[in-house]
Amino acid sequence: MMVPFYILILGPVLAGLALLALPLRWGKVLAPISQIPLAVLAGQAFLAVRRNGPQLQVIGGWPSSVGIALRAELLSLDLVMLSILLFACLLLYNAGKPYVNRTFLFLFLSFQGLLNGIFLSSDLFNIFVLVEVATVVISLLILFKPNSESIYDGSIYLLTNIVAMTFFLFGLGLLYKTTGAVDFDSLKRVIASFEDSERLILPYAFLMTAVSLKAALMPLFSWLPKAHGTPGAPTVVSAVLSGLYVKGGVYLFFRLQDIFEPVLDTRSLFLVLGLMTAVIGFVLAIAQKDIKLILAYHTVSQIGLIMTGLNMDHDYARYGALYHIINHAIFKATLFLTAGLVIEHYKTRQIGQIRGVWREMPAVALASLLAILGITGAPLFNGSMSKAWIMVGADQAWLGIALYVINLGTVISFVKYSSMLWGKAPGKAKRPFWGGPGHRLPALVCLSLGTLCLLGGVLSEPMTRLLFGVALPVDWSQYGRKTVVFLLLLFAGTAIYHFGLKRWRYLQQARDLDLSFHDICLTMAAFFAALVIVLKIWY
Amino acid sequence: MNINALLDWISGEHISLVLFFVGLYGLTARRNMLKSILSVGIMQAAAILYFLSADLAEDSVPPVGESVAGQAMADPLPQAMMITDIVIGIGVTAIALTLMIHLYHRYGTTNWQKARDKRHE
Repeated sequence: MMVPFYILILGPVLAGLALLALPLRWGKVLAPISQIPLAVLAGQAFLAVRRNGPQLQVIGGWPSSVGIALRAELLSLDLVMLSILLFACLLLYNAGKPYVNRTFLFLFLSFQGLLNGIFLSSDLFNIFVLVEVATVVISLLILFKPNSESIYDGSIYLLTNIVAMTFFLFGLGLLYKTTGAVDFDSLKRVIASFEDSERLILPYAFLMTAVSLKAALMPLFSWLPKAHGTPGAPTVVSAVLSGLYVKGGVYLFFRLQDIFEPVLDTRSLFLVLGLMTAVIGFVLAIAQKDIKLILAYHTVSQIGLIMTGLNMDHDYARYGALYHIINHAIFKATLFLTAGLVIEHYKTRQIGQIRGVWREMPAVALASLLAILGITGAPLFNGSMSKAWIMVGADQAWLGIALYVINLGTVISFVKYSSMLWGKAPGKAKRPFWGGPGHRLPALVCLSLGTLCLLGGVLSEPMTRLLFGVALPVDWSQYGRKTVVFLLLLFAGTAIYHFGLKRWRYLQQARDLDLSFHDICLTMAAFFAALVIVLKIWY
Repeated sequence: MNINALLDWISGEHISLVLFFVGLYGLTARRNMLKSILSVGIMQAAAILYFLSADLAEDSVPPVGESVAGQAMADPLPQAMMITDIVIGIGVTAIALTLMIHLYHRYGTTNWQKARDKRHE
């Protein structure tokens, strides 16, 4: 008996509704527990898909081109399981926080349902609906602890994303007129045998403008750090936005490219855009002083890396990028959660004022360190595996060098970030391992997520076989060389940061780079126009 | 230019494309948040008009009730999708307006530029 997929979407929403009716005390306990049945169902569906291949379910018994079709394949179920794992951790982390109330739990769980819907939907219009509703829910979540900065940030987030989704809708209209379909299967069938590629340019450009903004590609990323790093957003919201939701855009990109690739092959274009995004992301991350903003800009950089991998003409690179999506979700969530605890303890977000986290909160510092090792690609950690597979796809020398530069940038930005771990603590006595009172559970959550970074690296071979159904070999004999390369990068990164970048004037200016709402709309229009022109020249 | 050619050119599809870019112009050229929200509304209306007018046969009847022999029914799928979009559009506009009121209470302005300056203070 196959699990009905809509339960994975409706379940969290209904759970959130039920919690609205119960006392908050129960809600805080029941919300993490609600993830257990979801995990069981998702696991069952996953096993069934592994056994029998992708499954399509149409709600209401309509034909699949008309009804709401849900399609489960390995990748979409991987992402659903990842969302369940992360939400379970975040809800546990959040249980003791004072701002949590029933509305928050309802919105947060509804957001999970919407996210699962985006991953499972096989129809562009349903995705439009889900993303639009998710945009509204997220702007409410960002504004949950409203202060004077987050209202501006939330408004920017809401309006830019609505504009992007209007582009999406218009593109969908054009696509429906040219192909007569909005669901993935029919679209793929129709487009594969499409003669007149020129007629697909306009719908493609509209859709891709929207998806590029959602995935925060260069130059459309400037809404992301504001939304993810805004002071008012609860830590768990930042973690889930940066860890998971932005991957929704990447996932959509992956799906759309899969459909359009036979006719419009834009891989080289998005490869270059991905590289540029990665570079500008780490440059801006190094320029920041606010620890949440360092992490938020760093997400932009990693998205660029994932896009680069997805657009390489190599299976290893593609699966490496998909594995990096999962890895990034885990270490970025850990980093945001630990940053949240650090901010709570030190009552500041400025990296220059935070010192001695190792002495003050050892468990949190250990979790941070594990995640940092993961994200910088230290040997044996999950980041190193996915980055190594992406590296395999670099068939030209300049591409390999570009990837090393990006990794060096990652290392530099985390040399800066980790400076808060060392040094003298303000307090006199050495604190207990778990930090202050009330930090035990959150720190435990961070630490287990951090351990997953290590496990994801050591067990990367069986993990990819399980999650994607492909065997990606890891060459352990190369490990000595890799360790040396990593140590060299670490050394170079530390040297460059301390002797060059720290006092570099232009970096200060990069920090003030902040696009206004009009600039974002203008870049969106320019991106759209450029995409149309490039495609017109190519086809 | 022939006036008849112009009248022929004016169809739902073309007008919706024009409207879409009018909305986009409003977004990039107007500093008032209320006008930004209105511009988004224009873009959404353009998308709805496009869906409803593209591929519409000349004398088709609405896809409601019993079908009459000899008369073509309009494609019901875009209409169903647009009903959904109209509902979402209302919700989104309501949230955007609420945010605007909050922004006004906080910063005393609905001008994007001034709000941004105050955010950085």
